[in-house]
Amino acid sequence: MLVYVLNRILQLIPVVFVLSVLVFGFVHALPGDVIDSLAGDEAAEDPEVRAALEKEFGLDQPIYVQYAVWAGKVLQGDFGKSLVTRRPVSVELLERIPATVYLAVVGIGLSMPIAVPLGTIAAIRRNTPTDYAAQISSLIGISIPEFWFAILCIMLFSLHLGWLPSSGYVSPLDDLGLSLTYLVLPALAIGFRQAAYTTRLTRSSMLDEVHKEYVDTARSLGLPERKIIYKYTLRNALIPTVTISGLQLANLLGGTVVLESIFSWPGIGLTIYQAIQLRDFPVIQAGVLVLGVMVVTINLLVDILYRFLNPRVGLS
Amino acid sequence: MSDAPVRKGFNQTRRQFMATTAGAAGLGAIGLPRLSKAAPKRGGTLRFGTRVDSTALDPHRNLVYYISTPLAATTQGLLDLDLDMNIVPGVAEEWDISDDLMVYTFRLRKGVEYHNGRDVDAESVKWNFERILDPKTSHAFTRASLEDVDEIIVDDKHTLRIRLKEPSAVFAANVVYYPCNLMAPDSVDQVDTHPIGCGPFKFVSWNRYAKTELVRFENYFETDEHGNQLPYLDAIEGYPKREDQVRLTSLRTGELDLIDNMAFNDVRPFRESYGEAFDIFEAPHIGSGHLNINVKSGPFAMDAPDGKLLRHAIAHAIDREAIHHAVFEELGYPLNGYYSEASPWHMPGIRNVKEYDPEKSRSILRKLNMENMPIAVVARQSFQYMSQTAELVHAMLLDAGFNATNEVFDNPVLRQKYAKDDWGIDSTATSYRFEPDGWYSRWILSSAAENQLRLGYKNEQVDKLILEARQTLDKEKRIELYTEVESLVNEDAALIYTHAVPMTSAGTNRLKGYRPAFAGAFSTAGGGIRTAYFEEA
Repeated sequence: MLVYVLNRILQLIPVVFVLSVLVFGFVHALPGDVIDSLAGDEAAEDPEVRAALEKEFGLDQPIYVQYAVWAGKVLQGDFGKSLVTRRPVSVELLERIPATVYLAVVGIGLSMPIAVPLGTIAAIRRNTPTDYAAQISSLIGISIPEFWFAILCIMLFSLHLGWLPSSGYVSPLDDLGLSLTYLVLPALAIGFRQAAYTTRLTRSSMLDEVHKEYVDTARSLGLPERKIIYKYTLRNALIPTVTISGLQLANLLGGTVVLESIFSWPGIGLTIYQAIQLRDFPVIQAGVLVLGVMVVTINLLVDILYRFLNPRVGLS
Repeated sequence: MSDAPVRKGFNQTRRQFMATTAGAAGLGAIGLPRLSKAAPKRGGTLRFGTRVDSTALDPHRNLVYYISTPLAATTQGLLDLDLDMNIVPGVAEEWDISDDLMVYTFRLRKGVEYHNGRDVDAESVKWNFERILDPKTSHAFTRASLEDVDEIIVDDKHTLRIRLKEPSAVFAANVVYYPCNLMAPDSVDQVDTHPIGCGPFKFVSWNRYAKTELVRFENYFETDEHGNQLPYLDAIEGYPKREDQVRLTSLRTGELDLIDNMAFNDVRPFRESYGEAFDIFEAPHIGSGHLNINVKSGPFAMDAPDGKLLRHAIAHAIDREAIHHAVFEELGYPLNGYYSEASPWHMPGIRNVKEYDPEKSRSILRKLNMENMPIAVVARQSFQYMSQTAELVHAMLLDAGFNATNEVFDNPVLRQKYAKDDWGIDSTATSYRFEPDGWYSRWILSSAAENQLRLGYKNEQVDKLILEARQTLDKEKRIELYTEVESLVNEDAALIYTHAVPMTSAGTNRLKGYRPAFAGAFSTAGGGIRTAYFEEA
C-alpha cells in the first residue's frame, strides 16, 4: 500500500510539471496584458512607463526565462506577488481556498447521505412507487440549473421565511454558528444537484451489481438479503459513485463561479475569474496550478479509497 | 500675491453647506428623498453593499474605489466637492491663484491629522504629490492630474505653493479628493496592507471580495452646520456583491442598510413595491455615455474623402430617446453634449445636433453608393449599460442601411483593438468629469492620450477653444467656449453623445442624511456617507 501511494505521488511530479507549463503558456497567451491594466490608458502608451513596469515585473525577459524564474520560486513555496494588490499570492489564495473547500466539501457531504441510500433503495425496489419517486426527484435535480435553484432557495428561506442570510461569508474559525447559517443555502444549492446525480448513479450501479452471479450465489447460500445488499453489493456499487463524486468535488473546487457570485462567496473560482479580467498573471498561474494539484490529489485519494471499498481491487 | 478672490474656508463652507442643503431639498422634488429634519444621532454601523470591491489598498495606485467602495472613506483631498459639484475647502481651508494663473497657494487647515496622529502639514502634502508624480508609485490617471506641476514649494507648515508649467484656471479641480487623496508619509511601508489616510473613517481590515471594516476617525476635521463633528456613524462594513439582484435582495432581507448601483430596471418596480420601507437615491448625472467613432483610419477617418458624410449617416441613425427608454429606464437625460441638464456646466446653446432620421442615413449611404457598409460596434464587458447601448446602436445601424456587427470584449482585449484600429464604433462612457477641462483636455484635445489612443480626432479650432477655456477664470465665458467646442464636435460627429449615466442607490429608510451627489457616496462635502446617520442608532 505504502509503495503504491509513493509511486502515485512520484507520478504526480511530471503531471504537475506539464500542468505548470500549460498554465504558464496559456496565461501568457491571453490577449491583452497586465501593463495596460496597471498603467492606465494614458501611461500604457508611454514607452518609458511601459518599459519600467515590464522590468519591475520581469515581463521584459524571454518567456522561458520568466517560466524558469517562476517555477524556481514556486518550488520554494513562493508564488510571487499579485501585480494588482501587491500582496503575496499565497496570502491571496489562502484567503480563498478554505472558503471554496469548505463549500465544496459540505455540498458533496450533504449529497452523499441522501443520495446513496435513496439510490440503493430505488434499485432494490425497482419499478415500485419508491423507485419512481427517487427517479423523478433526481431528474428534477439534474434538470434545474444550480443558479435557479439557488435563487429559489434565497426567495424562500431568506426573503419569505427570513430564516437564513441571502448571501455572504463568515469564516467558521471566526464564528462557527454564524458561518453555518451563511453556508446552508449555497451548500444546499450544490448538494441538491450533486445528490440528484449520485442517486441515479448509485441506482444504476446497484442494478448492475444485484444481477451478478455472486449475488445469486450468496442468496443460494442463504445469506440474509440485508447482508448481501449492504456488505457485498453496495460496496461494489459504490466504486463508480466514489469515482464520480471525487471528480465532482474536483470540479466544484474551481467551478462554482456562478454560485459564488449569487451568494457573494469569496471563493477561488471568483478570484481566478477576476484575476483573468485584470490579467493578474501570478494569481492566475498560482490559482490554476493549486487547483490542478488539488484535482490530482483528489484522484489519488479516490484510488486509495477503492482499496478500502473493495480489497480485491489491485493496487499494483 | 494675487488680487484674485481668495477661496475661503469654513465660514463660507457653512454658508455653502446651508445653500447645498437647500439645493438638496430641491433635488428631492426630482427624485431624491427629502432631508430629515430630525437632529442627527451618533452611532451605528452602516452595512454597505457595493457592486465592486477595491482593487487594492494603495490610494495612489488604484482608482475605482474612490467612487463607490468603502475604502474611499479613509482618504481625503486637499480640496473637496459639494453637492452641486462646486470645489470647496477640504484639508486646505482656502486657496488663491496668481494673476498669471501660474501659481496656486493653498493654506492648510490647522489641526488636521492622519489616522496615525501625524499632522497633515504642507510637507506631507508635498510628499504625497511627489509620490503621485512618480510613475512607479501611481496610476496614470492620478498622475495626469498633476502633470502641469512644475514645482511644489513649502512656505511654512501650513502653506503650500504649486507652480505650474503653463497657466491654468482649472488646477484646483485636480487636487480634490479624487484622484489626489492624501496618505500618511510615514505609513508608506504598510500601504498595501493597512493604509493610513486622513478621511472620516479609519481602516480596520479588508478581506477581498468578502468584507471591508472601517471605524469612525475621532479626530476628523469636518463639522456639520451646527458645529457637530462628522461623521455621525460609528463604523462602516462594506460587502462587495457583484450581482445587482443579490445586493437588492440583501437590502430587502435587512442584511444591508445601503446598496450602490441599483440596476436601472429595478428602480421603478422597487420604488412602487417597497418605497415605504426603503429610500431610493438618484444622482441624475455622474457620467456621460458616448459613441466613439474610429476617425484615425478607415472610411470614417477625419481625412477620408467621405468620412464626415458617413459619420453624419451614423449620427442620424442614433435614436437617443430609445436609449433613454430601453437602457436607462427613463432615468437621467439624453445628451447633446457632455453635460446634462442636471449639471452646472449644462450648455443649452449647443448646435449641430444630428436629429434621429434613419431615412437621411439611408439616403447618404445611397448617395455615396455605400449601402451595406460594414461597421463593427464594440463595447466593454464591465458595464451593462455600455453593452446594452451597443446592442441598440447595432440594431439602429442595421435599420439605417449599415452592415453592422456587435461584439463585447473585456478591457484588455478592447485595448488591443484600439491599438490596432480594429473597431468602428465604441459604446463607452466616462465619469467624474465635474470640471469640464477634465473632459475636453483629456478626450477631445488632439494631443490628449485617450484621444490619440482611441478616437484620433483632430480639429485645430476645437483645440484652440479648449486651451483658451483652460486659461479662463470666468465661468460664463468658459461655458460659451465649451458650447462652441461641442457644436464643432457635433458637426464633425467623431463622437456622439448618447445619455447621462445616473447613479442609483437604495437604503433602508432608517438611514437619514445620506445625500449622494455627482462625486459619489464618499467624496461629497456636506453629503454622502459623511452626513449619514441612523434614525435609531
